[in-house]
Amino acid sequence: MADDTRHTDLPDEEVAGSRTTRREILTKAGVGSLLIVYGGALPRTAAASVPKYRGRELAGTLRIIQWSHFVPAYDKWFDDIYIKRWGQANDTEVTVDHINQADIPARAAAEVAAQSGHDIFFFLSPPAAYEDQVLNHADIVQEVTKKRGKMKTVALKSTYNPRTKKYFAFSDNYVPDPANYRTDLWGETGLRPTTWDNVRKAAPKLRAMGNPIGIGMSNEIDSNMVLMSMMACFGSFIQNKEQRVVLRSKETVDVLRFARELYRTGMSNEIFAWTAASNNQAMLAGRLSLAMNAISITRSAELSNPELASKIELLPIPRGPNGRLGLEHVMGAYVIWKFARNKAMAKKFLVDLETKYIGAFENSKFYNFPSWPASVPNIARRLERDTAKPAGKYKVLGEIADKYTLNPGWPGNTNAAIDEIFNKFLIPQMFAEVAQGKRTPEEAARVYDRTFRVIFQRWRNLKKI
Amino acid sequence: MPLRKRDKLLTYLVVGPFAIVLAFPFYWMLQTSLKSELDLYNTENNPFGWGEGSPTLDNYRFLFSDTQYAQWLVNTVLVGLAVVAITLLVSLPAGYALARLSGRWGQSLGVGLFLVYLVPPTLLFLPLSRVIAEAGLQDRLASLILVYPGFTIPFATWLLMGFFKSIPRELEDAALVDGASRLRSLVWIVFPISLPGILTVVIFTFSLCVNEFIYAIAFITNSDSKVVSTGIYTELIRGDVFYWGALMASTLIPAIPLALLYNTFLDRFIAGFTGGAFR
Repeated sequence: MADDTRHTDLPDEEVAGSRTTRREILTKAGVGSLLIVYGGALPRTAAASVPKYRGRELAGTLRIIQWSHFVPAYDKWFDDIYIKRWGQANDTEVTVDHINQADIPARAAAEVAAQSGHDIFFFLSPPAAYEDQVLNHADIVQEVTKKRGKMKTVALKSTYNPRTKKYFAFSDNYVPDPANYRTDLWGETGLRPTTWDNVRKAAPKLRAMGNPIGIGMSNEIDSNMVLMSMMACFGSFIQNKEQRVVLRSKETVDVLRFARELYRTGMSNEIFAWTAASNNQAMLAGRLSLAMNAISITRSAELSNPELASKIELLPIPRGPNGRLGLEHVMGAYVIWKFARNKAMAKKFLVDLETKYIGAFENSKFYNFPSWPASVPNIARRLERDTAKPAGKYKVLGEIADKYTLNPGWPGNTNAAIDEIFNKFLIPQMFAEVAQGKRTPEEAARVYDRTFRVIFQRWRNLKKI
Repeated sequence: MPLRKRDKLLTYLVVGPFAIVLAFPFYWMLQTSLKSELDLYNTENNPFGWGEGSPTLDNYRFLFSDTQYAQWLVNTVLVGLAVVAITLLVSLPAGYALARLSGRWGQSLGVGLFLVYLVPPTLLFLPLSRVIAEAGLQDRLASLILVYPGFTIPFATWLLMGFFKSIPRELEDAALVDGASRLRSLVWIVFPISLPGILTVVIFTFSLCVNEFIYAIAFITNSDSKVVSTGIYTELIRGDVFYWGALMASTLIPAIPLALLYNTFLDRFIAGFTGGAFR
């Protein structure tokens, strides 16, 4: 639009500012034409006929930033095939920049500080704290819902703020979080990690065999997810449905006591210094008997060590006293910044991406599950068809996605306070302090309950909860 | 006077363990870069053994064929050279002025300048993001060339100031008496004597540019314009999967010329850092 205005203003300026002769106009026009034709002054994209919006290149440019997907094939498909086709179909030059997952918060903070950056920004957890900086994504949600039916509850509760009635993000995918366990090692214990009690019973023997349980208690995403899932299985929650802090409970004390025992009898102290990659690496090195992670462990093993891969089986989260309640491993959440330059195209891009999600699902090797299940027909059959050993290994992902995948902050919605607790890794810190004997379970539940109340109150004061 | 055998032995006994400890990361990088993925995770073969599929050049092949590593290397060198040039251009006269012309204020100003160097980039990258955006330099190497001198110039000026102080003033006075201008005496007398200090600034500034991370990750996101420190970090760590072999290969490659550079000019480098230390 700005360019259009400039063009329409130009003739007036010439009339008001100077008296140009016809000879001068012809000379300038001739030189200008030569420059354009032979000097490469035409925009590169316009010269290539895409986009067609001559002189309005910005209107046809879309900038996206997202993580470097753990499956390289996904990025290849997305960068080299999908966006190129979409760009051609929509007369838009799309660029995708990739970023390490650990740097997403810093990069987002930098873009917000600069009020400049990408049109579409991808987060790996619901970015509720940025609600004021993003558009309401409701129209995108409505458009996709119109085409693909109902959105998954986990995606809805992760991206919608009932207080402000705003969709602060658009979730294209979520990632089921299975238990990865070594069948050969667990076979010697005569148990399977189907319940947390089984994990507790088998842990000492497995550690004695040199293959401890691998549940992180560190400042990283996997620790966050597995510990919040474990809490839910024991009936311990950060907040209730009405978004009131309910951490201080008998169930929280129970789960902290359980985790302390599990650490003392069946884990190693490495878990306090883990990064998101540590459980992958320990599992690939054959050292762990159990890790809670998405399918990056098994997919990596299939490439580098197929024999080991065939010994790793996937299960839903172990059942606890409160049942089997798991969290998503990753919540893919795109946002369109308020300062995005091409909001209309950004919205269209997200709608199109979600409504035709088969490519994303297949190329992510079943890592990205669609937030609108109807976007990928016959998910169960696709999972069954995978050639990994043992046959049907990934079938369980469908079950986990349907039954055992909740949002962070469940039973309430994911909100800015949960986002802050998540990004400050307060849950892993609480567990680590108890496991290391720095606090008793009762003291930890009390102290962190108070901390969480302060965080919730702050966001409540800002009218975000 | 040559050292006696016993003294030599003692020297090696003291220096030897240090050398082993300092060289071990390079050995580790080299070995990991030559290992196959399968062998890498075989704990029995770490850190000294070789297993199935190793040694292999696959990681190097992957680096140059499947990533834009060569481009990142070029970008790193370009930024490094530009920043070195800007730093020398500013800090040479500044260091000299502070050492010679500012009297008692020189020392205080020098310390003040050095304090600027101590402000951490983690504090500065957010406001600077705004500056870079306003200047329209996002995703351009120019953003790094603009920002890096912010931390290289204070350090270089402080270092050179100390070095210039160690040069006898009489040398310049003699040149001035012989009719040379101050600029001429600077160029023909002071700078040649200051070569160790200047070399130190060059090497140190270039190393700082190669190592810098926060600004590079905050200002540049497109693959074509990345430098080594951020390129390998974003492209060789994919989610929770690390490409250790390629990562080690990618860090070893720029480390070798830098190590050679340091080694070649070691004496001058030490002279540069210690020049003026007792003045």
